[in-house]
Amino acid sequence: MSKPIRIALTKGRLEKDTVGLLEKLGFDCTAVREKGRKLILPVPDGNLEVVLAKANDVITYVEHGVCDMGVVGKDTIMEMDGKFYELVDLGFGRCKFALAAKKGSDFYSGYGVKTIATKYPNVSRRFFEKKGMDTEIIKIEGSVELAPLLELADGIVDIVETGTTLKENGLEVIEDVAPISARLIANTVSLKMRQAEIENIINLIEENL
Amino acid sequence: MRNYDLITPEGTKDLLFGECIIRRNIEQTLLRIFKSRGYSEMITPGLEFFDVFNLNSPYFPQENLYKLTDSKGRLLVMRPDSTMPIARVAATRLRDAMLPLKLCYNQTVYRTEPALKGRSDEIVQTGIELIGSELKIADLEVISTAAEALRSFGMEFSIELGHIGIFKELVGRLDVSDHVKEKIRRNIETKNFPALNDLLDSLGNSPVTAALKKLPALFGGEEVFEKAEELMPDENIKRILGELREIYHDSCEICGREGTITVDLGLVNKTDYYTGLIIKGYLQGHGEEVISGGRYDKLISEFGYDVPAVGFAMNVNGVAKVIEKNGILPAVPAPDMLVYAAEGCEVAALKKSQEYREQGMIVENALFEDLESARAYAIERKIARVVVIDEELCGEEEE
Repeated sequence: MSKPIRIALTKGRLEKDTVGLLEKLGFDCTAVREKGRKLILPVPDGNLEVVLAKANDVITYVEHGVCDMGVVGKDTIMEMDGKFYELVDLGFGRCKFALAAKKGSDFYSGYGVKTIATKYPNVSRRFFEKKGMDTEIIKIEGSVELAPLLELADGIVDIVETGTTLKENGLEVIEDVAPISARLIANTVSLKMRQAEIENIINLIEENL
Repeated sequence: MRNYDLITPEGTKDLLFGECIIRRNIEQTLLRIFKSRGYSEMITPGLEFFDVFNLNSPYFPQENLYKLTDSKGRLLVMRPDSTMPIARVAATRLRDAMLPLKLCYNQTVYRTEPALKGRSDEIVQTGIELIGSELKIADLEVISTAAEALRSFGMEFSIELGHIGIFKELVGRLDVSDHVKEKIRRNIETKNFPALNDLLDSLGNSPVTAALKKLPALFGGEEVFEKAEELMPDENIKRILGELREIYHDSCEICGREGTITVDLGLVNKTDYYTGLIIKGYLQGHGEEVISGGRYDKLISEFGYDVPAVGFAMNVNGVAKVIEKNGILPAVPAPDMLVYAAEGCEVAALKKSQEYREQGMIVENALFEDLESARAYAIERKIARVVVIDEELCGEEEE
C-alpha cells in the first residue's frame, strides 16, 4: 500500500469532533481514541495517519506538506493566513469572533483612538481597517476579558461561544466580526499528487455532514 | 556591541560541501539542458531600481521587497524576480534583436518571507524566457523544456497546466466591483468552496456564476475538459478551453512515462503576470511547486516594447531540499595525493604537485612543519598517497 495520507487534527474539541466524524465514515479510530501520549496515530483501514497538533501548527504542517490535510478552526486560518486549500466547512466547532466592551459603555463614541486587547491582532487590525478606524492593538495571551476590566483597553476582539464569560464579567458584544467553524484544509501539492485518495475522503465527509 | 556577528540573517543560510555539490549539480544540469535547446544565458544585477518592479500592476507588494538606497538617495531593491529585469533588457538593449529571443538565467532572488516559518528569503532560480512568439509551438517548447528539466532529477514529477483567460473572461462578464472580483479570485485560488458559493449565490444564478463556482473543482486529467465544456457559457471561453485541451494532449505525449500532465482551471494567483497558459511543476515529496511559469504577453509592453513571451523558473532550493531528503549528502571527493616539501624544497614540491595535477589528479600541498603532522592530516582527510620531496633526492617517498 502507498504511504498513508497524513491528516493533522487540532487537539481538543475539534479533535474529538473530527474523530467522531471519521468513525461515522466507517474508519476505525481505536488507536486515536486510546492514544496515550502518542502524537502520530494510525487509522489502518483508511490508509490514514492522524497527527495531533496545536491549531497554529496544523496550518504550519499542512503548508509545508509534511501533513497532507488538516482540520483547524476558521479563527486560526483568519489569524495565520498562509498557502493551502480550504476545502470544506465541517460545520462543527461553531462560534464567532466578536467585538465586546464593558456593558453600557458607548464603544464608538468620542474621537480618541480606541485600544483593543486581543489574542488575534491580525483579525482585529483587519476588522478596524475596513471601518477606516485607527486603533491601538495590544496582544494578550490569557483571558482577554481582563483588559477592559483593568482599564487597559476599551474593548476586546475574541472568540465568543455562548457569551457566558462576557456576561459574568460585565462585558457585552458590541458587534459580530466573523462566524467561525472547523475547516478541512489541504496542502496545495498533496491535493494534486494524491487527488483520488483525498477526493475520496472529501466525498465521504460531504455525504456525512 | 556586536550582537549578530556569529549568525546569518533570518531566511538565509550557509551551504557547505555536499550541499554545494547538490546545488551546483542542479544548476549545471539545468543550464546544460537550456543551452542544448539554444537558450543563451544572461545575468542581471542583484540590485535594481524599485521602479522596475513597481509597474502598473503591483506584482510584488513593497512589503515583500528588500529595499535600500543608492548614493543619490534613489530607491533600490534586491531583485525579487528575474523575469522583470529580463523584460527590461528585452525592451532596451535587445529591442532590435531578431525574434524570438531565447534567454536563460541562473540567479538568486530575494523576498521577505514571514519570520519563523522555515522559509528562505534567498532563493536560486534557474529558468528560461522565450520572447517574441505567440505560437502554440512556443508554449509546447517551454512545457517540454520543463519536462526535460524535471525528468533530469530522476524522481516522480508532475506538470500542471492552467489558463488564466478562462477566469478573466468569466469574471469580466459579472457586473461587480473590483473588490468583489478580487474576493472571488481569492476564494478560487484557495479552493474555498463554502465562501465562494456564498459569495456567488449573493450575485444571483447565471451560467457565469455556475461556471465560477465549479472552477476550483476543475482539476485532474482529461475528464476536466469534458466537465468544463458543458459549463462554459459561451464560444469565446470554449475556444480558450479548446486551445488548452490541445496543449494538454500534446504535452501528455511529450512528457514521457516518468511524469504526468494534469490541468487545473482554478490556478488564479494574484501576483502572477500571466495572461494565458500557466505552468506549475511538482516533485513527489515536496509541499510546494518547484516550477512556476506561463505566458506573459503584456508584461514587456509595460517597459514600452509590445512583444509576447512565455517562460518558467525552477526553484533550485526546493529541488535541493527534495534531493537531500531522499538521499545522503554526496561526499566531497578526497584528494588523490598530498605533497610534502622538506625544508628548502618548497619550489620543487610546488612544481611537482602541479605536474601531478596536470595528469588529472587532485593534489594538495602539505602545509605542516614536519612530516608526521602531514601524515596525520592525510589519514584524517583520507588521502591515499603522501609524496615527500626532500633535499638530497628531491625524490619521492610513497605511503
